[in-house]
Amino acid sequence: MKILVCISVVPDTTSKITLDSSNTRINSEGLTFIVGPYDDYALSRAIEIKEQTQAELVVLHVGTADSEALIRKCLALGADSAVRIDTVAVDSYQVAQEIIQYAYDKSFDLIMMGKEAIDYNSGIVHALVAHGLGFNHFSPVMHADYDGGKLILEIETDLGKSKVSSTLPAVLGCQEPIAEWKIPSMRGIMTARTKEIAVIAPSKEKFESQITAHVVETERLQKMIPVENAESLIDILKSENLI
Amino acid sequence: MKNIAVFIDGKSGQISESSQRLLVLATNWLSKNNLDNMYVFGFEPVNSEQLKEYASVVQYTHIKIPDLANHSQVFSSLLADIQQKEISQFFYVKSLLMDTIASFIANKLSLPLIANVLKIESADSAVHFTKSIFSGKATLTTEIKGDAFIGAFSKSFAIDFTNNTSNSSVSQSEITLGIDSQNKLIENHPLTGSIPLPDAAIVVGAGRGFKDPSNWGIVEDLAKEIGAATACSKPVSDLNWRPHHEHVGQTGVKIAPKLYIACGISGAIQHLAGVNGSRKIVVINNDPEAPFFKHADYGIVGDVFDVLPRLLNKLKSH
Ligand SMILES: Cc1cc2nc3c(=O)[nH]c(=O)nc-3n(C[C@H](O)[C@H](O)[C@H](O)COP(=O)(O)OP(=O)(O)OC[C@H]3O[C@@H](n4cnc5c(N)ncnc54)[C@H](O)[C@@H]3O)c2cc1C
Ligand SMILES: Nc1ncnc2c1ncn2[C@@H]1O[C@H](COP(=O)(O)O)[C@@H](O)[C@H]1O
Repeated sequence: MKILVCISVVPDTTSKITLDSSNTRINSEGLTFIVGPYDDYALSRAIEIKEQTQAELVVLHVGTADSEALIRKCLALGADSAVRIDTVAVDSYQVAQEIIQYAYDKSFDLIMMGKEAIDYNSGIVHALVAHGLGFNHFSPVMHADYDGGKLILEIETDLGKSKVSSTLPAVLGCQEPIAEWKIPSMRGIMTARTKEIAVIAPSKEKFESQITAHVVETERLQKMIPVENAESLIDILKSENLI
Repeated sequence: MKNIAVFIDGKSGQISESSQRLLVLATNWLSKNNLDNMYVFGFEPVNSEQLKEYASVVQYTHIKIPDLANHSQVFSSLLADIQQKEISQFFYVKSLLMDTIASFIANKLSLPLIANVLKIESADSAVHFTKSIFSGKATLTTEIKGDAFIGAFSKSFAIDFTNNTSNSSVSQSEITLGIDSQNKLIENHPLTGSIPLPDAAIVVGAGRGFKDPSNWGIVEDLAKEIGAATACSKPVSDLNWRPHHEHVGQTGVKIAPKLYIACGISGAIQHLAGVNGSRKIVVINNDPEAPFFKHADYGIVGDVFDVLPRLLNKLKSH
């Protein structure tokens, strides 16, 4: 069995987002970057399935060399090797095209991702990759067991929760409580040093979009209503069609 | 031909509130950009009279979908229908099912898919999408060259024009999707009762300021009166005052309603991470220094046990 885990690298959830001097990009200075929290769940569960099945586990990231320390951490946790597609990730659609281009001839049985990247919150890379490769697709997945060539999954749907069985190959978007986050062991950190991070060039296939990246912080009105007039809130909300 | 498709959702024949807004937005977009036809798709039979209120001349297609639809093979009849109708622009409000369908269409037609759209504007031979990022902390504008795309709207998107449809006529048809032969449904646990939190257009949240679970009646009464779902802060669910699935924030559910009313919640950064995507936020707290007021559109410094009953009275007197 071959498993691929795709990780995003994102600012820590408590970060205050500011703009750089060009006013078009997020200022990365002073931000702490982490592996996307949902991607970390996907990786943790993938490592458990690898231990159960002796699968080969590859970690993939679409992004720049700045992310290598975090990719190395994934190797320390137990991934066998890593691939970095060397381009600036600007959009979920672009990321998905890169992953499809990489994976289509590598015969992966299982591709695990987070349910969403916490920067752009698109939640669509896994679905795009699944349809691009003709794999089954499930997201968000809260439990995933590999059993006799099949997956038994607990998933959320728009209408509630379901338990399903899925054939392979499949792409899963993962969320808690699929696994507990893991901490690298000393031995893991040592062996990770010798593991390979293959750097490959992005595919030429570019879609015709551009990020004009005008980022604006969400502004709030901060209007105070005196408590004596609390009832006037109802009129305001009605006039704005909010209730 | 330049045709657009709008995917709508709803329950028991009623079009959901966010889909109503989407229909008005798409109708307006159609006339402003001189596009030809608008096709509406949904997963239930639709009430034509209700549809006419929000959109001019439409063809409605009821898509009959199997219990499980997690593989491309299920959607091929939909693709054929879309190609035959020469549709190049797609609008929907984000949901798990629609994300799957949209990803399928995006792949087959090589269309860019833009998620969490708040606003769409046409520019010189391009379209600009403003979308919500970092769970609503900021917005970003993306430019798509050309005029073929799929726009996945965030539930909290706003429309700043009124509905001016006329001469509507609705014709209805049906397509049936394939069966998912790869996957099997073992068990189903449908959500019961109240409005599911992630889907709610209005949410009333309550925090430790309510002191005791027996005080939640007033939160529920207010929510019921305005058709809102109820939410809570993490300590409240940790204390078992409220079920775990009601807790919003960094470690809980992330919501993006058009209105969030936060009562007796301090506004810690971890709580904000789950509610930043709300279009308008109202904060009611008896501490004028509560951090939440800095992230509020409307704030009331007051006791929830005084303010909430008064709001409820006012609502009931109408
Ligand atoms: C890693 C981590 C993750 C976390 N994740 C989350 C999360 O996902 N969601 C979350 O909510 N929290 C989360 N927290 C906890 C968060 O930091 C806060 O502790 C929590 O949000 C506070 O909840 P609260 O506002 O209900 O309670 P409190 O902080 O106790 O605030 C109660 C508020 O009620 C007001 N009040 C009291 N009495 C009244 C009254 N009669 N009328 C009006 N107002 C009154 C007070 O002025 C106060 O502002 C997390 C914390 C950590 C460390
Ligand atoms: N730059 C990236 N490189 C690799 N995987 C990614 C990247 N961005 C997103 N992903 C994966 O796709 C999932 C969904 O991302 P998104 O659709 O952007 O919300 C994430 O949880 C990751 O597993």
